[in-house]
Amino acid sequence: MVDEVKKSLQDLLGKVNGLYSILITDRDGVPLLKVGTDKAPEQAMRPNFISTFGLAIDQGSKLGLGKTNTLICSYSQFQVVQMNKLPLIVTFITNDTCNTGHVLALEKQLNPIVSDLALAVAES
Amino acid sequence: MDELINKPGVYGCVFADHQGLCLGVKGKASTESAGIIGAIAEQAAKLEPKSKMPIIYLENDNRSCAIHRTGTVTGAIFKNVHS
Repeated sequence: MVDEVKKSLQDLLGKVNGLYSILITDRDGVPLLKVGTDKAPEQAMRPNFISTFGLAIDQGSKLGLGKTNTLICSYSQFQVVQMNKLPLIVTFITNDTCNTGHVLALEKQLNPIVSDLALAVAES
Repeated sequence: MDELINKPGVYGCVFADHQGLCLGVKGKASTESAGIIGAIAEQAAKLEPKSKMPIIYLENDNRSCAIHRTGTVTGAIFKNVHS
């Protein structure tokens, strides 16, 4: 199963220009699956960075706009797009010029993969 | 966009910025398609880098979609085709 999922993620990676890496982690930022190129910054793939998403969505929910679905961090050289699929977090790392809308549109294709993984995580 | 949507045959339009984020949508078009149309315009432009931005026209038996980028804004117009 892991190989199939990795292959689908690798396919997605090729579809978006400037997309460096896709990570599927648990809520603590521990990686379950990681695909990507060596261009992705090591710092953005660390669990302590990814797990801050959990804190950010807690704060985001206080805005009264409902559950936070997506968080986009735009830096001078990179963009980090994170999706709330709790108990999992999906993280995309891209370059600064990458088409953010295209990355967001990948969500639909990722949903079946993530729900399968979430089930596997819940069972274990 | 109001003007556009009232043209005959037009049933939807969507506009995206240079990052593929939706600027506006009217009619039967999805905000999620903003990223895709931005990417299509970007890829099509690579075919002829020296030419000006192309108009990409996708058509099937009953609908068509025209995509064009001007500056940083990409627009897509969805139309019903009357044969």
